[in-house]
Amino acid sequence: MTALNSFGAVLTYAIELETRLRDYYQAAGNADRAKEADARRARLERVRRENVVEITLEAIDGLNAEDFTPNLEDTSAEGQRAVEAAAARFYTTAAPKINVREARSALERCAKQHAALA
Amino acid sequence: MVERLKNFIGGQWVESSAASTIPVHNPATCELLAECPDSTRADVDAAVRAASAAYDDWRRTPVLSRAQYMYRFKALLEDRFEDLANTVVRENGKTKDEARGEVRRGIESVDFAASVPTIMRGYKVEDISSGIDETAERQPLGVFAAITPFNFPMMVPLWFLPTAITCGNTYVVKPSPQTPLSMQLVYELLEELDLPEGVVNLVHGGREASMAVMEHPDVVGVSFVGSTPVAKIVYETCAKHGKRVQAQGGAKNYIAVMPDANIEASVANIMGSAFGCAGQRCLAGSVVVAVGDAYEPLRNELVKRAGMLRVGYGLNESTQMGTVISAAAKERINSLIEQGVTEGAQPVLDGRGIRVDGFEDGSFVGPTILDGVEPDMTVAKEEIFGPVLSIMHAPDFDSAVDMINQSRYGNAASIFTSSGKYAREFKYRVRAGNIGINVGVAAATASFPFGGQKESFFGDLHGQGPDSIEFFTDRKILIERWL
Repeated sequence: MTALNSFGAVLTYAIELETRLRDYYQAAGNADRAKEADARRARLERVRRENVVEITLEAIDGLNAEDFTPNLEDTSAEGQRAVEAAAARFYTTAAPKINVREARSALERCAKQHAALA
Repeated sequence: MVERLKNFIGGQWVESSAASTIPVHNPATCELLAECPDSTRADVDAAVRAASAAYDDWRRTPVLSRAQYMYRFKALLEDRFEDLANTVVRENGKTKDEARGEVRRGIESVDFAASVPTIMRGYKVEDISSGIDETAERQPLGVFAAITPFNFPMMVPLWFLPTAITCGNTYVVKPSPQTPLSMQLVYELLEELDLPEGVVNLVHGGREASMAVMEHPDVVGVSFVGSTPVAKIVYETCAKHGKRVQAQGGAKNYIAVMPDANIEASVANIMGSAFGCAGQRCLAGSVVVAVGDAYEPLRNELVKRAGMLRVGYGLNESTQMGTVISAAAKERINSLIEQGVTEGAQPVLDGRGIRVDGFEDGSFVGPTILDGVEPDMTVAKEEIFGPVLSIMHAPDFDSAVDMINQSRYGNAASIFTSSGKYAREFKYRVRAGNIGINVGVAAATASFPFGGQKESFFGDLHGQGPDSIEFFTDRKILIERWL
């Protein structure tokens, strides 16, 4: 199991997820969604860079990457909805575990965006 | 063939005249990363001469122009943020998040330096006598230098260099020979800034280079961060040679936990304080004083949470605690744990002998908790600088404060409580320079001075914040009358 047990582990997983989603939508021929995923990736990279504070670095429990793995093989409309649902579930679960306000807000924003597409 | 590092002097990367080098190892993988030259007095002299030669022109460069370099420096640091963090992990062994946090705090110091034009101000009073005005102006002083430690190889030099040069001084950094690569990369970025030659200089090395910095007649001030014995030497040597000096030494930071504290939330934060950076920071919580009934639930929660920490290679994002700096440090820490046990402490969590798969030769010490520690034990008094947390038990708040104030160190202390009364009393009475209230790592941000008292600090003006402006400038008094 890949434990998402720290601020960086969660944010890095989110960045990698958005990178994979960008590539997934490019492969699916959906340029708009690919662009949206890339914008989220860039935002999350900035948030990870700007909000890592040693005063508040605390261990995170109960979050594993394998629980949120999207099926990126299926590019059908139904497959895309399933991918978005998996992403929304990840962000919804991860956001409350982050103790830095701006980072948590960024994850909540991603959750809303993905949920709207699921 | 690994790289032999070069010094950066007068705007050029130059070979050191040193005959010998110091190997730089990745403390997790044991990979040889570089050879650090054990630079000589001649190397230091060349750097100081370059800095001296650059000083007059640089001082005359308008402060707003000097500040512009900081904005561009910040942009470069942001662009290379992950590379910088990875470099810190590779040479120091801390976790990726800890390294990112370090880089972030280094950048905060650059942010602060960019504000120098608004804070490097003097003051004036008209008519101190009839028709006579008096002004205090701030002026830079010349060549400053920093001798910096292994535990924050990126952040600590940036506490000093950006503010010093934006105030109009020129600078020499002598980083730790155990972790020279972070500054190597930072200086590559400084080179990209196209600063005038000689404004910033880098000299690698060990004791000879440090002594040369402290004894050089053209160095006007030295900033040092390291252990207390060396801080004392730096303070005395610099004073003897007529320099300004700020020398931050070691620490033995106490954390009091009151019975009214939220134990679960407190322990989550204490974990970061005690075991963050594998305990190798001068703000690490080293002794927990459980007050009254807090003792048992606190001890149980500490042992449970510390036992769950994932120890490993810092470049793995799932790693929650990395290595200590070297095999020698590991041996020293293990021997101090053994001494604590011999003196009567109970190792309720023992990190000696930890094995990390794939990194069997790495310098790992697992989280260690010693219970039943008494004030006269070595582990209660000496800085361990490793992932070792001692638990002491105090019957009441006053006893806890007395225990804390017995320490010869005074870097930081924290209290976890839900009582405003105890929080205020703690802040008021505890003799430490950085106080945390429900915060285990009481780290001053760049616009505040980094406190330190007793044998944790030697000097008058602290690093960072307004103190740094005082340190890097002098006030010149102008009394004027127009006849």
